[in-house]
Amino acid sequence: MTEQSTNTEQVQEELSAYLDGELDADSVREVELRLARDAAYRQELQRLERAWDMLDGLPRAAVGDSFTRTTIEMVAVAAADEVKSFQEQLPRQRRTRNAIAGGLAIAAGAVGFALGLLWWPDPNRQLLDDLKVLQNFEYYYQADDIDFLRQLDRESLFADGDNDHAS
Amino acid sequence: MAISESSAQRYTLQDPDVRLMLEVRDDNAAAFDELMLRYQNRLVTVLEHLVGRRDLAEDLAQEVFLRVYRARKRYVAGAKFSTWLYTIANHVAANALRSMSRRHEVNLSTPTNESGPTSSLDRMALAASGAMPTRQADKAELCDIVRTALSGLSERQRMAVLLNKFEDMSYADIAVTMEMSPQAVKSLLSRARVNLKEILEPYLENGTKPPETE
Repeated sequence: MTEQSTNTEQVQEELSAYLDGELDADSVREVELRLARDAAYRQELQRLERAWDMLDGLPRAAVGDSFTRTTIEMVAVAAADEVKSFQEQLPRQRRTRNAIAGGLAIAAGAVGFALGLLWWPDPNRQLLDDLKVLQNFEYYYQADDIDFLRQLDRESLFADGDNDHAS
Repeated sequence: MAISESSAQRYTLQDPDVRLMLEVRDDNAAAFDELMLRYQNRLVTVLEHLVGRRDLAEDLAQEVFLRVYRARKRYVAGAKFSTWLYTIANHVAANALRSMSRRHEVNLSTPTNESGPTSSLDRMALAASGAMPTRQADKAELCDIVRTALSGLSERQRMAVLLNKFEDMSYADIAVTMEMSPQAVKSLLSRARVNLKEILEPYLENGTKPPETE
């Protein structure tokens, strides 16, 4: 691109923006000063403006009632389709919601059961732990003093192959 | 694009059509009818000069209104309503022009039934040469000449010209509508003006107007 053509393009852009009222106040002042002293510049502005003004001769459309009516009908059909599609999706959404709720309930139950197993004391476990006490309950019942029973135990009076009955 | 609360409030306050569109968003059918009545002639005018056919322009305008309705729930007041509307129109028209171009259907100048020169440019040349009985083109011919000049512009130049001329849009609004920078719009419109001048100059120089004197 030559310097001259670049310059021409700049001038045309400047004049075009001036005609469109898109220049800032300083640029407008510069353009108007140049317009006052440069006949070629002024002529270019007039030629651009004249061609542009010819566009005013283009007709403006005025649509008929049928256009308005058919457009509104099209939109009404689109609205009805939206409602239908929404209603069709409702049972599917409900089924999905129920399935999710059911799944969540089962998962919650499983987690609850697992926690219960961990935290709730097992009554059988307690019986097993106390088994030896229960087996010797009769001795314990007859003795008033636990130290006395321990002394008897040390002397192997309860011996049945196990030494720590009373411990 | 994220839209700040303050700019949404500004557009809502300044632009009554934005307020109408917000009512459309809330499923107010009367607001949609009102918007359509306000814009239908303007939209068809722009589209007609963009695609060159009235019937197609009306079809495209209906498509635009339908898209506006379908997009209502996603609408946010991020620009003037007209800017938003013509952004949709620009996409719809570009798609239509692309399909027409694939089918080689683009013909922006008005078809003529006259048996003489087949194109307006031919007739312009005849008028300029003085071979026409009268060098006064009537209003219809003038329209035809301007339409032909417009059809000599690129699709983007034509859209920018129509938005600027018929919708009185600023470079900033055209930039939003056409998804360009304001500087690019400035260059586009300048080139469009120069092209129009070059196409119309033979008519202007040799028509009814006296030659320019310095």
